[in-house]
Amino acid sequence: MSEESPRTGMAQSLLREIARALAALAETGACDAIDLRSLPLTGGDRADLETALGRGEVAATFDASGQSEVWETRHAGVWWVRHLGGDGRVAAETIEITPIPDILAAHPDDIRASAAALMAELAETTEETAHV
Amino acid sequence: MSLLDFARGPAIEVALAVFTLGVMWRLISLLGLPWAKDRTVRRAGAPSDFSAGVSGFIRHLWVPKGFGMTSRFALINGYVFHLGLAIIFFGFVQHILFLRGLFGVSWPGLPTSVISIAAVVTLGSLVAALVRRMTSPVMRLISTANDYFTWLITTLPVLTGLLAVSHLGARYETLLAIHILTVAALLIWFPFGKLMHAFLVFLTRAETGVFYGRRGVKI
Amino acid sequence: MSDGNHPGGTIGEALLARGISRRSLLKYTGYLASILALPPMASRAMADALAKAPRQSVIWLSFQECTGCTESLTRSFNPTLEDMIFDLISLDYHETLMAVSGAAAEEAMQAARAANKGKYVLVVDGSVSTAEGGIYSTNAGKTNLATLKDMASDAAAVLSVGTCAAFGGIPHAKPNPTGAVPVSEIVTDKPVINIPGCPPIPEAIAGTVAYIITFGKLPDLDHLSRPKAFFGDSIHDRCYRRPFYDKGLFAKSFDDEGARNGWCLYEVGCKGPVTYNACATLKWNGGVSFPIQSGHGCLGCSEPDFWDRGGFYKPLSASVMGNPAIIGGAAVAGIVAGAASVALARKRRAEALAAQSKASAAAQEKMP
Ligand code: SF4
Repeated sequence: MSEESPRTGMAQSLLREIARALAALAETGACDAIDLRSLPLTGGDRADLETALGRGEVAATFDASGQSEVWETRHAGVWWVRHLGGDGRVAAETIEITPIPDILAAHPDDIRASAAALMAELAETTEETAHV
Repeated sequence: MSLLDFARGPAIEVALAVFTLGVMWRLISLLGLPWAKDRTVRRAGAPSDFSAGVSGFIRHLWVPKGFGMTSRFALINGYVFHLGLAIIFFGFVQHILFLRGLFGVSWPGLPTSVISIAAVVTLGSLVAALVRRMTSPVMRLISTANDYFTWLITTLPVLTGLLAVSHLGARYETLLAIHILTVAALLIWFPFGKLMHAFLVFLTRAETGVFYGRRGVKI
Repeated sequence: MSDGNHPGGTIGEALLARGISRRSLLKYTGYLASILALPPMASRAMADALAKAPRQSVIWLSFQECTGCTESLTRSFNPTLEDMIFDLISLDYHETLMAVSGAAAEEAMQAARAANKGKYVLVVDGSVSTAEGGIYSTNAGKTNLATLKDMASDAAAVLSVGTCAAFGGIPHAKPNPTGAVPVSEIVTDKPVINIPGCPPIPEAIAGTVAYIITFGKLPDLDHLSRPKAFFGDSIHDRCYRRPFYDKGLFAKSFDDEGARNGWCLYEVGCKGPVTYNACATLKWNGGVSFPIQSGHGCLGCSEPDFWDRGGFYKPLSASVMGNPAIIGGAAVAGIVAGAASVALARKRRAEALAAQSKASAAAQEKMP
């Protein structure tokens, strides 16, 4: 209900939660994440949170079964991850406290698959050139 | 059929039927009984039976002079829970909707916070009434199982209603069903136990007033 | 949608073959974790588990139903994140959706069953007619009742999708001419999960199936066999109009001041307080709205017998009289009983008086 703009104080408590998780990340390297979608945030709360966290250096958008936006907030190690579902609605939205969100890194299985694919491609082209 | 469906449906329907039948039967048989003629000679200057009856009822609304604090407390406490019950029963929107379903009339309700406070006060007051009944030697002597059962049957709806409103102890549909069932129990017990005083209090007090008024005694 | 030719192979392989990266899967498990109320950190492990899991064979049977449940699950037309459920399952047979018909359809069902014996999830939408041996609802000359018994015997679990399959629903409503019963009344030797709703929330269907595939077990269920992740809270518990309910501010009709102010809909019959479903949080059409947000009270469609609870617009606290005449009858009976005891008392008194005067007359006679 983004038409509502009252504040519930949720943004403040989320910021404290993020600060605690970030301190843990700094100390022990433990990653954490907060699911925003399941929290009863009002439009105002969300706006407050976005303003407070701000935007940092990194931002990425990609298309994998729908659009996604990921950006690092002005606090290193705090990322905003937003996945859109059908019709551009937000399907999942998390704040991730991690050096880099999992979703950005290429998965080993994907890497293996593309390594094989690239090899095959090259083999094909080499074969082709050999025939010329 | 779930417990709630049973409570909202057959249970309350049967309870209302028993209540109506019982009240009609008791009132009519009581009022229709042949009266024993008062053969005393009316004292000169004694008030008419009607005014003696009315004033008898009014005078009973307060403790006569000379009674101690305990009696006064008991009376005030009685008013507190009677008033509390009335506020809860007639002021809570959910109850008004119930009554509207039965009689087709409704009126604006009170804020839920007021009702909750009234319910807590009423409950405390009912407990105080029970404590007095059990500690006062005289009260204990004249109390019967009927009195204790009537107390329980009155208190349960208040307690279960409070639990239902505050979602305490079980799922809401269960609490609501139990609450309605306690009300059904109250309705069934009503005509046959001490709760009948809700109708009879007017008759008994007026009759006492008439009886003594004729003899020139104000009581 | 599956074309039915996915014997073996893991979900990860299937995705790779279709050129879908692991990112999509990770996104999807992030979304699943959110709707299943699991910690967001679980999504990585879920993605890894899913990638290694075989696609779940699903056989979908439609009985006495309106196809709303299938519509609910397949409502979206462009491939989206939410549609990834169809990459997790192999919808080997769906009576309503598949193209083939007649004997070919029968064969497809038996083939799917033989290929996945003991492993497939049987999804049922619609209630089962039992009256007259179930002849009120048949398919290819076979009653739904027989088909269900037959197909359930080789299933790993049964998913009753929609209120009709879960609780009997509208066919079960009074007077229930077809003798409709819920699936759980017929299938008693297999786990049966109920995902009620008229229709059920698509996320609840997909989320439950995804949970079973990911974790290889059934989710936590409530006393009506509904997954707690979706049916753990009542609508009322999560309703944004709740502050008005708590204050006692109610809309009295659908176009009054209170309704315009967005007050609580209890007085106009909202069944939210006794209805367990995720509408207030997941909402409908991907989170656009849900009935209460659109100004109508909850009908209580995910609860047993919601159709027979005395009217959608009757407040929850009002009683549901089967027959108000009973009360009138009771009043008459009370009056008659009262009059009878009065008559009896008067008669006794008259008799006593008569006896008395007789006695005194006799006494007088005896006097000298
Ligand atoms: S609208 Fe319905 S669910 Fe919402 S607070 Fe009112 S009674 Fe509860």
